[in-house]
Amino acid sequence: MKTILLDALTIAGKDLKGELRSKQTIGMMLVFSALVIIIFSFAFDPTSNTVKAIIPGLVWVITIFAGILGLNRSFVSELENHCLTGLRTAPIDPSSIYLGKVLANFSLVTSVQLISIPVLFLLFGYRFTGSYLWFCCIVICGTIGFIIVGTFLAALAANAKNSEMLLPVLLLPLISPLLIAGVQATRIVLESLEITDAISWLKLMIAYDFLFLAVCFLLFEYIMEES
Amino acid sequence: MRQENLFDRILLYILIPSVFILLYLIFIWSPVEKIMGETQKIFYIHVGTAWVAFLAFFVVGFYSVWTLIKPNMNRYIYAGISAEIGVVFTTITLLSGMTWGRASWNTWWSWEPRLVTTLILLFIYVAYLFIRKMDGSWEKIAKLSSVFGIIGCLNVPIVFMAIRWWNSKLHPVVFGEGKNQSGGGIEPEMLATLLFSVFTITILYVFLMRKGAEIEKMRHIVKKSKNKLINKLAS
Amino acid sequence: MNYLFIAYTATWALIAGYIIVLGKRQMSLKKEMKQLEEWNSEQ
Repeated sequence: MKTILLDALTIAGKDLKGELRSKQTIGMMLVFSALVIIIFSFAFDPTSNTVKAIIPGLVWVITIFAGILGLNRSFVSELENHCLTGLRTAPIDPSSIYLGKVLANFSLVTSVQLISIPVLFLLFGYRFTGSYLWFCCIVICGTIGFIIVGTFLAALAANAKNSEMLLPVLLLPLISPLLIAGVQATRIVLESLEITDAISWLKLMIAYDFLFLAVCFLLFEYIMEES
Repeated sequence: MRQENLFDRILLYILIPSVFILLYLIFIWSPVEKIMGETQKIFYIHVGTAWVAFLAFFVVGFYSVWTLIKPNMNRYIYAGISAEIGVVFTTITLLSGMTWGRASWNTWWSWEPRLVTTLILLFIYVAYLFIRKMDGSWEKIAKLSSVFGIIGCLNVPIVFMAIRWWNSKLHPVVFGEGKNQSGGGIEPEMLATLLFSVFTITILYVFLMRKGAEIEKMRHIVKKSKNKLINKLAS
Repeated sequence: MNYLFIAYTATWALIAGYIIVLGKRQMSLKKEMKQLEEWNSEQ
């Protein structure tokens, strides 16, 4: 178990180091999320009162759309120069590849969120009155679940020629419960309603995270076995 | 091969009369509901197809697990055909549910947990079929699609729960019944018709499944012998 | 009554559609098999 974690950290470190060097994926994700915010401000008038109702949804739409961009790259980029074959033949457990990729993608998406969510609040002129702690908790739980399923399906889709198109089609129906829970919980926190309702949504998200982490962890080796 | 043919024939001989009996039961024998009138008769086909849609999905999950444990061409084919039939029946369920909703609640679509779960189920089925359309050896695709089938199967109850909570306006109801769609008690004739409809549609499902799987198996055999022949001609 | 008609038409049409798809697959298979046989006899 310990070796799996250490190997996972090595792989995550490798991915993040490469990302820090090129800054391509994260740059794209940031620009894309900014563009999504702008497009939404054209679609829904940001000066009107309806903004309050759509902000919770927007937080998640940005996360998911920008996240899908990053997820697409995480395995397809390994196809170049047969890096994936190298990883596969390396003397490590396939699950550690998965965990490493989850860690790397999670840190990528959270760093994008750290910038894009404040920008979203800023551009839509939204005054944050809820509890920061709960808000962060909900966003992190939702993002973890999204990354857990997303990384797994990205590895699966990387086998196809049109993986960029395939990934959203596979991913979006599967994360729909997470999205519902995330949006509702975020709404409750942002509107400073009773926190107990948000906690039951949070529990659903945590259960989802654990269930899918376990299942993906176990099934990942079947995806990696051969190409 | 003989035996299988016999089984298919028996299925067909049961299926055809039961379809006609079903139509008779639905349109002539069963009583007309007082409040909803004739439109209530959509109910029979709606419930039957919905049952088969979820059954087909369960079968996909079952064969997916089995394929992962012991890869086998037949199991892989059964899972695929079951998913295809599932798409057809899920679409029927959605369409009949929508027309019924239009007739009784005057809207085509309501964000009701069962309806939305069925819609998500349809998308999962379609995604599953997309994976099977990938190119590569069947062993590889069998593995990938089985993995997705298992995850999709796990997801369906969670979707149902999440949407139910969502609909109950943020006050989670974990156990206990939602509002009863059939509108209170059900008359014995209606129940009998309903059960018969479920039976007939299940037989239809089994029949389609066997036919589809047979064709698919044949296709693999033909492909194999074609390759063999081409190699022979080339050498 | 009208809605009843719509629902049942859609149902049978979709089932018939799937059966037609299966039939088409079978037809194309038959064609392929015939071709294989011809090749085999030519050889």
